[in-house]
Amino acid sequence: MTFESFAGQALAGVSLGMVWFLIAAGLSIIFGTLKVLNLAHGSLYMLGSFCCYQVTVSLAGVPGNFWLAVLVAPLVVALVGGIIEVFLLRPIYKAEMIYQYILTFALVLIIAEACKMIWGTGYHSVKVPWPFQGSVAMFGLSFPIYNLFLIAMGPLVFIALRTLINKTNLGRNIRAVTENREMANALGTNVPQVYTGVFMLGAWLAGLAGSLWPPVSVVMLGSDMAVVIDCFIIVVIGGLGSLAGAFVGALILGLTTAFGLYLIPKLAVAFGFILMIIILIIRPYGLMGEPE
Amino acid sequence: MTGAGMNRISLLGTSPRNGTMLLGVMIVMVALPYLLGQSWLSITTEMLILALSASALNIMLGYTGMVSFGPAGMYAVGAYTTGVLMEKMGWGMLPATLAAPVMAGLVGALVGWFCVRRSAVYFALLTLAFSQIIWTVVFQWYSVTGGDDGLVSVPVPDFFFEITNCYYFMLAVVSVCLFIIWKIVNSPFGMTLQAIRENPNRVEFIGVNVKRYQLASFVISSVFLGIAGSMFCVFSGSAFPDYAYWVKSADMLVICLLGGIYNFFGPLVGTVVYTVLTKVISGYTMHWHLVLGGIIVLIILAMRKGVVGTLANYWANRKSAAA
Amino acid sequence: MLLEAKGISKAFGGLSAVSEVDLTIGKEELVSIIGPNGAGKSTLFNLITGHIRPDRGTVLYKGEDITGRKPYDISRMGVGRSFQKLNIFPRLTTFQNVQASLFSAKKINCNIFADSCRMLGDEVEEILQSVGLGGQSATLGGLLAHGDQKRLEIGIALALDPELLLLDEPTQGMSPGETVETTELIRGLVRARHISLAFVEHDMSVVFGISDRINVLHQGMLIFSGKPDEVKANEEVQRIYLGKGEK
Repeated sequence: MTFESFAGQALAGVSLGMVWFLIAAGLSIIFGTLKVLNLAHGSLYMLGSFCCYQVTVSLAGVPGNFWLAVLVAPLVVALVGGIIEVFLLRPIYKAEMIYQYILTFALVLIIAEACKMIWGTGYHSVKVPWPFQGSVAMFGLSFPIYNLFLIAMGPLVFIALRTLINKTNLGRNIRAVTENREMANALGTNVPQVYTGVFMLGAWLAGLAGSLWPPVSVVMLGSDMAVVIDCFIIVVIGGLGSLAGAFVGALILGLTTAFGLYLIPKLAVAFGFILMIIILIIRPYGLMGEPE
Repeated sequence: MTGAGMNRISLLGTSPRNGTMLLGVMIVMVALPYLLGQSWLSITTEMLILALSASALNIMLGYTGMVSFGPAGMYAVGAYTTGVLMEKMGWGMLPATLAAPVMAGLVGALVGWFCVRRSAVYFALLTLAFSQIIWTVVFQWYSVTGGDDGLVSVPVPDFFFEITNCYYFMLAVVSVCLFIIWKIVNSPFGMTLQAIRENPNRVEFIGVNVKRYQLASFVISSVFLGIAGSMFCVFSGSAFPDYAYWVKSADMLVICLLGGIYNFFGPLVGTVVYTVLTKVISGYTMHWHLVLGGIIVLIILAMRKGVVGTLANYWANRKSAAA
Repeated sequence: MLLEAKGISKAFGGLSAVSEVDLTIGKEELVSIIGPNGAGKSTLFNLITGHIRPDRGTVLYKGEDITGRKPYDISRMGVGRSFQKLNIFPRLTTFQNVQASLFSAKKINCNIFADSCRMLGDEVEEILQSVGLGGQSATLGGLLAHGDQKRLEIGIALALDPELLLLDEPTQGMSPGETVETTELIRGLVRARHISLAFVEHDMSVVFGISDRINVLHQGMLIFSGKPDEVKANEEVQRIYLGKGEK
C-alpha cells in the first residue's frame, strides 16, 4: 500500500467517521440519559437528508440555499423528535426495554414510508455548496475540500456539545438527570422537559448529519437501515452515553471500514460487528463508558 | 406490585375444556384445504412456519426473560443449511432438513455462550451483532450461499409442489414441534426458566446455575428456529439473505408482543393477527408499512399484554368479579 | 460450629464496608446481627453466601472452605437465605414459587418431559402451611400482602431443606402484630427442623426475644458479640446503638 493510498483511505475513513459521530452522538446521549435504544435514529438521519434536499430544491437559485437547508432541516427533525418523545415515548419509559425497542422499530416503518410517500423512491442529489467546492492537493492526492470541511465539523460539534453539557445550566440538568433521575426530580429539575430536550438534541444531531452528508453521497430510501446498525456499533464500542466514546468509536469504525474495504472488501462489513462483540465481552461498558 | 401492571400467566393446564378446544382447532386445521382456496392455503402454510418461529423465540423471550434481537440469524442458519445441502451438495430432503436443527443448535451454542455472559441490553446487542455477522457471511459467501442472489432453485421433491401436500407436511412438522415446546415449557425445566425470568438473582440462591439454563434456553430456541427456517426453505424452494436481517428479527418480536409473551398461545395468535393484518392492509393500500407501524404503536401504548394477555386478564377479572 | 467466618473484609472503592468481622453460628443456634443502617449487615450476608467475594478472610461451612464460592453452590450445601429487598417470583403463583425451589432442591429441574403442574404438590402444600400461606397457593406472588410475601420468601428458602438459614430483615414492613406472629413462626420452624438461624433485624423486641446470641455491627466492624443480657449491659453498644442520646 502506497502512502498516497493510505492517506486517501485514512481521510475517507475520517470524514465518514465524523458524520457517523454526529449521528452516534445523538444516539449515545439519548441512551445515556433516557435509557432508550432509539432504533429510529437512522430514520431521523434519513428524514434530515430528505428535508435538506427539499429545501435546496424549493430554494433553487437562492444563493446559500444549502446552508439554509443545513439550518432548517435539523430543526425540522428536532421538532419531529420532540413530538415522538412527548406523545410516544413518554408513556412507556417505565416499560421494559423490548417495548421501547419495538416502538422505535415501528417508527422506522412509519418514517420510511412517509419519506417514500413524499419524495418517491428515486435517488436525489445535492450539490456541493460554495465555498467548499473543488479539491485540494494533499499528500499527492486530490482531496475534496468539502470532505475536509466534514472532518472539521466533527471536533467542532464535539467541542460545542461538551461545552453545552459541562458549562451550561441545561447541561447541568442533563447531567443531573442522567446520573440520578429521582434525585434530580426531588431537587426540582423538570425531568420530563429535560428528557424531551435531550431527545430533540439527539434528533437535531441526526438531522444535521443528514444535511451535511448528501453532497458527498445520494439522498435515498434505505439510508436509514444502512446507518442505524453502524451507529449501534459505534456507541457500543465507545460506551453507551459517552460523548468522547462516540467520537472515538466513530473514528475507529470509519477507519476500520475504509481500510477494510480496501484490504479485504468481502469481510469489511463484518469488522464492525466483530469489534462490537469483542468490546461487549471484555469491556461491556465500552472504551469510555461507565457502569451505572 | 399490583395486578394492574402484571400479565396474568394463564395456567393452561390439562383441563378437559382446553382439551376439547384444542381438538376443535386440530379438526379445523386438518379440514382447511377443503375450505380454502390455493392462495389462502399457501398463506396459512407460511403462517404455520412463522408461528413455529415465534414460539421458538418465545422460549427465550416470554419464558426465560431473555430479549434477543437476533432470532433471524438462527432461522437463516436453518434455511441455508437445508438449502445449501440440497442445492449445492445434492443431499436428499430428509437428511438436509434433519441437519438444519443440528447446525442451528451448534451455532446457537457457540453464539449463546458468548451472549449469556452479559445481561439485559448488552445481551440484546450481542445477539444483534451475531445475527448481523451471520447475515454478512450469508451475503458475502457467494460461492456457497449465492450471496445477494440467494438460493433460488433448491431441488425440493415434486411432492411439495402440490400446496395441499405441502400444507399437511408443514402442519404435521409444526404440530410435533409445538407439542415438544409445550412439553418443555411445562416441565420442571420450564418452571426453572420462568423463575429465572422472574428473579435471576433469587433463583441463583435456590441452587440454579443461571447462565447454564439461559444457554440451554438459547440453544433450544435456536434448534426450533432452525427447523422453522428449514421448513420455509422447503416451502419456498429458496433462501435469501434477508432471512437473517435484523428487520426479520424485529418482525418476530412484534408477533410475540402482539399475541402476548407470557402465554404459550400468544405467539400463535400473534402470528395469525399479524399475517391477517398485513395481508388485509396491503390489499387496501400500498403504504401498508405505515399502517402496520401505526398499529404496532397503538398496541404498545394501549394493549401491551398482547391479544392473549389482555383476553386472559379480562376473563380472570370477570371470574373474580362474579365470584 | 456450623458456620465460621473469620476476618471477613470488603471495601468498595476505598470505602470499607465490612472490616475484619468474625462470625460464628453453632448447630441449632439462633444468632442475630444488629447495627445501625449502613453498618454492613446485608453486605456481610452477601459475603458469606457468595454474592460478593471478600477481599480478605475465610468462610468455613461445616469445616469446608466456601469463601467466594458461587451462590448456587453454597445454597446446594444447605444454606438458605432470604433477602432484604423482596425477592420472590411475582408472576408465579405462591404454589409455583415454592415448587420451583423444591425442583432445585430435588435436583429435578433438568427434567423436560414431566408435566410440572401438580408435581410435588403435597410437599409444596406442607411448606406453604408451615409458613402460614396454606390457603393461598393459587394467588400470584406479586399480589400477596407484604407480610405474606415475606413469609413466602421464608417458604422458598425452607424448600431447600437447609441446615443454616440466613434471614435478612424478615419482619421488615410488618405491623407489630404480624411481627410477633412471624417471629413465633420462624422460631417454631427452626426448632422443629433443627435449623441454625442467623438473622438481621432492626426490631429489638424480635432480637431480644429469640436470639441465643447477638452480634453488633457498627461501621463495618463487629463491636460486640454475646448473650442478650451481656449486650444490654455493654456500655459501648449502649452508646452507639441502643441508648443513643438522652431521649
